[in-house]
Amino acid sequence: MFEDVPLIDTHAHVMYSDPDADDSRQRGLDAAYVEAADVLGIDILVVSCPMVRKPTTPEIFRHANSLVIDAMQKWPGRIWLTTYINPGWTREAIAEIQRTAELEDMVAIKLLWDYNCSDPVCFPVIEKAIELDKIIIIHQAHHTNMLFNRRHFDVDAADVVAVANRYPEAKIIADHIGGGGDWEWTIKTLAEAPNVLQEISGSNFDENIVDMQLQYLGADRMVFACDCSMSSSMGKFRALQAGTEDKKKIAGGNFLRLCGRL
Amino acid sequence: MMIIDSNAYIGHWAFRRLRYNAGDTILELMDRAGIDQACVSSASAIMYRNSHAGNEELLEEIEPHRDRLIPFAVLNPAYAGWRRDLQWCRDTLGARGLRLHPSYHMYALNDACCHELVDAATELGMLVSIAALYSVADVRQRHWLVDPPDVPLQDIAWLVAEHPDARFVVHAGDSSGSDLVQKADELPANYWLDMAFMDPLYHKGLQTVKDRIGAERLVFGTSICFRYPESALVRMEALQATDEEKESIYNGNMLALLGQ
Repeated sequence: MFEDVPLIDTHAHVMYSDPDADDSRQRGLDAAYVEAADVLGIDILVVSCPMVRKPTTPEIFRHANSLVIDAMQKWPGRIWLTTYINPGWTREAIAEIQRTAELEDMVAIKLLWDYNCSDPVCFPVIEKAIELDKIIIIHQAHHTNMLFNRRHFDVDAADVVAVANRYPEAKIIADHIGGGGDWEWTIKTLAEAPNVLQEISGSNFDENIVDMQLQYLGADRMVFACDCSMSSSMGKFRALQAGTEDKKKIAGGNFLRLCGRL
Repeated sequence: MMIIDSNAYIGHWAFRRLRYNAGDTILELMDRAGIDQACVSSASAIMYRNSHAGNEELLEEIEPHRDRLIPFAVLNPAYAGWRRDLQWCRDTLGARGLRLHPSYHMYALNDACCHELVDAATELGMLVSIAALYSVADVRQRHWLVDPPDVPLQDIAWLVAEHPDARFVVHAGDSSGSDLVQKADELPANYWLDMAFMDPLYHKGLQTVKDRIGAERLVFGTSICFRYPESALVRMEALQATDEEKESIYNGNMLALLGQ
């Protein structure tokens, strides 16, 4: 898309690991994602392997990360690793972060819904990310539908801001503005935390969703991502009313800056 | 290539501000996306108790732009006076279709009143456009006081089977696994699916639908001004189809349905 900046999908999944599931269920999903990236001109995929079944034991999250590492070997340089851990297993989580951080292309740590990110149980993991200068990517959405709230989507932007305020030196990305939920609430909440960026992925492509992000967060605090909603996300990026230099930042410049690769 | 949008809205929405929601401003969005014509209905009519007031507003908005904005009526068959309103929409508004919002108007597609409205619209030569919940709003961001149910795709399959002489355009989410696609051979070929919310990539719902029922049963849609039109354009670009098939989806099928 841009000659001097790669297009980076900062929220990608090549597969969902469930050790009890038949592997054939997810066979080919990695290739399907890479194929979709090829069609859309996405250069780099920042991949995590979240668990669909809880609780996530150390054995399971190590297996999940190994699946991504396998994909990194299959598509060298194309896939970067977001290490997924369950912060409830403090010692093992720290060890897994340390193990995977030895890989050149391990760039981030994922906090999903094992615990609310503002729960003190997450603090050692966040502090380890800061120590290693890795990005912390936090799943969040402000769902107004009680059906969803009763499930596992109970982390929202206010929780992310609480973490950001406690750790102003942390490099944080809040997940998917289009992942459902009240995106206006989310953007206005995140506006208060300057060390939080947000990515644009998700199936929701409401008109104004990324333009309001730009208005409140600015181009320096936005990053491109798809989270499996490939054309919805690319459409939002194209729709965004921003200049070329701002779009370059969002496409990949900001993420490279966070990684220290710019 | 000419583009006709099968699913567009102007007017107000109770739960968030819509930009580009007037007759002249939606044209800006259409121009940006290269959309030539749009089948447009009133967003306000979805939440008005008396939906027909939205149709009257629509008339004012589209009048200067009839070359590009094709009016569709919004009526609630459970509300008083719909027969007279339908006739007004056909004669005065010039509505080419009727758009149903069963989720927000609290009736089921198998209610007797819905059958009567579908029959009446068909007699007047109007298309019947069925807007499932997601076509205007994502349930995950519903207002805390309003929790409309979605329209079961199975109910749509049942409705189209009950009205073989009617012509339906369905605006729903990914219908690739539904009877509308998987059992299309058992249903009358009287319905067309809007591709707006299906992705040809990764999970490949849109590709599945195209390969299963054919491009001749798909129509282009965006859900502007609720949604960005660019996502639908990306889906069309990524869809594996011949130029002829894409032309059918972009305009040919809708032109035929509109009798143009």
